[in-house]
Amino acid sequence: MYIVGNLIYISCLLINAIAILSEDRFLARIKLSPTSHDPSFGQSADTSVRYKIITLISSVRTVMRVPLIVINILIILYELVLG
Amino acid sequence: MQRPSYGQSPPLHHPVPQHVSTVPQLRSPPPPTSQPHSQGYDGSPYQQQQPRVASGGGNMFGQYGNMINDPAAQLASQFGQTAFKQGQEYLEQNVSRFISVSSLKHYFNVTNFYVINKLYLVLFPWRHKPWSRKQAVGPNGQEGWYLPPRDDINSPDMYIPVMSFVTYIFLQTLIAGLRGNFQPELFGYIATTALVVVIVEILGLKLGCYLLSISNESQLLDLVAYSGYKFVGVIVTISVAEIANAGKGTGGWIGWTVFFYTFLANSLFLMRSLKYVLLPENNSDNRAPMQTMQTESRAKRNQRTQFLFFYSYVVQLFFMWILSRP
Repeated sequence: MYIVGNLIYISCLLINAIAILSEDRFLARIKLSPTSHDPSFGQSADTSVRYKIITLISSVRTVMRVPLIVINILIILYELVLG
Repeated sequence: MQRPSYGQSPPLHHPVPQHVSTVPQLRSPPPPTSQPHSQGYDGSPYQQQQPRVASGGGNMFGQYGNMINDPAAQLASQFGQTAFKQGQEYLEQNVSRFISVSSLKHYFNVTNFYVINKLYLVLFPWRHKPWSRKQAVGPNGQEGWYLPPRDDINSPDMYIPVMSFVTYIFLQTLIAGLRGNFQPELFGYIATTALVVVIVEILGLKLGCYLLSISNESQLLDLVAYSGYKFVGVIVTISVAEIANAGKGTGGWIGWTVFFYTFLANSLFLMRSLKYVLLPENNSDNRAPMQTMQTESRAKRNQRTQFLFFYSYVVQLFFMWILSRP
């Protein structure tokens, strides 16, 4: 039970971290934002590992913005009420 | 299902029940004044004609003997039977929407021969030669589905992983009990730990497949089965370490030697088996621009091989270590 609770906390914090990162100040600097990706030639753009990571990060950000608010509120209430 | 063999029994022609129901058969056993035919009792295959069977088989139904004569109780039992049948149908309808039972059956279609040889393979995979799974050929000569584990030693099954998972839980709690730290919550704790290990491993594998654009044609249950084979090595490690160390866990020479041996065996087994799952074959690449395709796919193939190696060795080492902690 201790492991499952901790895993939930760890995953929530990691997804929070992915959602919080500033798009133009940080991600563009380390070239992990969709705007700073120029396809080199032809086919290697769609299937390279970097492109996949960029897509993954941007999709996690757009999908999990709202549910993360809900989950964070729930965890905060849980911690406040039940210690 | 014991059929007591009484000496002279005339041949019985009652139909063999196709579906073993757990509801007690409420047909009345033949009364001690034996009747000349027993073919009307299709629900009670244990009843034979002899008078003394009534006492032998009647001890199972003896308590019902008084109930059968009471029509209210008979009604209640019939109602219970129909309710049970309806509950079963409801369960079948709803569960089959989530878990496809027929594809699960394919994984449990094993024989003794398969189980023993597969266990031997997991623990000693170095001499085995062909690792590819056999495919059944359809009626037109086109390739169909993979053969079930009954016919193909290389096919993954779910019987060994499930059994070794349960055995692992019991073994850990037994050892904890021998050491004096048994609590009833330990069952749930160990089960949760092992399940979390499997789930995290599969998630990592799926993430790696997505990042490397590996199109995964094999089903999820195949990966779960491959991930469950490590429990066999962990069980061997724990039991040998427990016997050799007399209660100190996987400390000392013998424990770590067995651990590394089973880890290496499991990793080789995984690498050889997952090669056909994760690495695409050469012929399936499209042929339009040959040069760039080949160089690029060589780099990608290297990436995939490295990923497979990383997954088989490093990841498995980490998880097997977690599982074999006391």
